[in-house]
Amino acid sequence: MINFTIKFQSGTPIYEQVVYAVKKAVVSEQLKPGDRFPSVREMARELRINPNTAQKVVAHLVREGLLEMKPGIGSVVSELNIATSVQRDKILNDEIEKLIVECKRLSITKKEVTDAVDRNWKLDNEKGLK
Amino acid sequence: MNNIIETRDLTKRFGKNTAVQSLNLTVPAGSIFAFLGPNGAGKTTTIKTLMNIMQPTQGSATIFGTDSRRLGPKEFAQIGYVSENQEMPEWMTINQFLNYCKKMYSTWDDKFCHELIEQFSLPLKQKLKSVSRGMKMKAALVSSLAYRPQLLIFDEPFSGLDPLVRDEFISGVLNITEDKNWTILISSHDIDEVERLADWVGIIDKGLLKIVEQAEVLQNRFRRIELTLKDPIDIKHNFPENWYLPELQDRTVHFIDSQYEDRKSEDKIRTIFPNCSNVEVMGMSLREIFVTFAKKFRISEL
Repeated sequence: MINFTIKFQSGTPIYEQVVYAVKKAVVSEQLKPGDRFPSVREMARELRINPNTAQKVVAHLVREGLLEMKPGIGSVVSELNIATSVQRDKILNDEIEKLIVECKRLSITKKEVTDAVDRNWKLDNEKGLK
Repeated sequence: MNNIIETRDLTKRFGKNTAVQSLNLTVPAGSIFAFLGPNGAGKTTTIKTLMNIMQPTQGSATIFGTDSRRLGPKEFAQIGYVSENQEMPEWMTINQFLNYCKKMYSTWDDKFCHELIEQFSLPLKQKLKSVSRGMKMKAALVSSLAYRPQLLIFDEPFSGLDPLVRDEFISGVLNITEDKNWTILISSHDIDEVERLADWVGIIDKGLLKIVEQAEVLQNRFRRIELTLKDPIDIKHNFPENWYLPELQDRTVHFIDSQYEDRKSEDKIRTIFPNCSNVEVMGMSLREIFVTFAKKFRISEL
C-alpha cells in the first residue's frame, strides 16, 4: 500500500516527483512520525516505477532525515526535525531569492507575494501543518 | 559481468533488405532497458537474434557473455521471454500450460507461481484459446517469471492490451525485482508505456540505433527553452549546434537545448541574445525528447 498521494506529471524526473510527494505528505501529516514507509519493492510495484528509482528515493529521504531505517520493520517516517542552520540558510536565502527574482521579473508586487504566502501557509495549516 | 547483453556491429539482412545494421547495444546488469522504435524498425529482429531464433548476418551478440549462436539450455534457464506473437499451446488449460512449462525448469518456484496466479486472477481451468489476449499474455508472463530468470526479454508485450491489463502486467513484473540481479529488456513502439519504468533507453529506426543513454542523463540534458527578446533578431546566424528546432515568432524564440547545464546554458543564452528579457526553462518528458529527435533526425514518429 502506498500511503502518500502522488500524481505523475511529465517533464520532471520521476525521482524528484516522488521525493516531493513524500515531503508534502509529511508536512501535511498524511504521513505521520512512526508510520511505516513502503518498501522499495512495494513502491516500484504500486507506482510502476523503476526499482532503482524507488531505491534512490528511499536513500535520499533517509539522508535528509525524513525516514529512518528500523531493523525488522524497514523504513519509518521520522519525527519532524527542526531545520539545521544550513537548511534554514538554503531555504530562507537561496529559495526565497529565486522566488523574488521570478516575481520581480514578472512584475509581481511584494504584497502579492506576502499575501500568497499567508494564504498558502494557512492552507497548509488547515491540512495540519504546524 | 557488467553488461548482460552486448551486441557488436550486429547486422541482419533478409536478401537485399537490411533489418538491423551494425547495432552496438549494451544492456547493463540491473537495468530496465526500453528498446524503442516505430513498427518495422528492427526491434523484433534484434530480439530474435539475441534469442538465437535467428542468426546474425554479420557481427555478434552475447548474453551473459555467451555468443547468441551458442545459447543452450543452461542460458535459457536464466532467460524469460515473452513476445507479442508468441505461439502458445492453445488447446491446453492455463493450469496444464503452467505444469508443462514447469517441467522444463529446475528452478521453478511453485509458491511464487501461485502468488502470480492470484495476483493476475488467472482462470486455471480455462483453455488458452478461450481466454482474452490480455489473459494469455499474463499466463505467458507467469510462465516466464516462475523460474526466476535473471534476464527478462519482452517483445512488445503491451500491444493490444488495454491500459488496465498493461498496468497489471508491469506491476507483476516489478513484483519480482526484489532480487537485485534482475535485468529487463523491453521493446515497445509506445514510449508512454515505459516512461516511468526505464532507466536506459535505446531508440532504433530503420535498423539503425539512434540513441543509447540513461533516461536520467537524457532528461537532465534536455530542456525546452523559451526566450522573450526586446527586439526581433535574425535567428539563423546565432544558433549553436546543440540547440535543436529553433523557432522565432515576433520576439519569442523557442528551441530545445540538448546539452543543458544550469548556469552555463543560461550564460550562453545571455551571450547570444544580450537583448533577451525573459528566459523560460522547462523540463521535458521522455516522449517530448523522443519527438524532438524524431523531428530533428526525421525518425518515423512512434
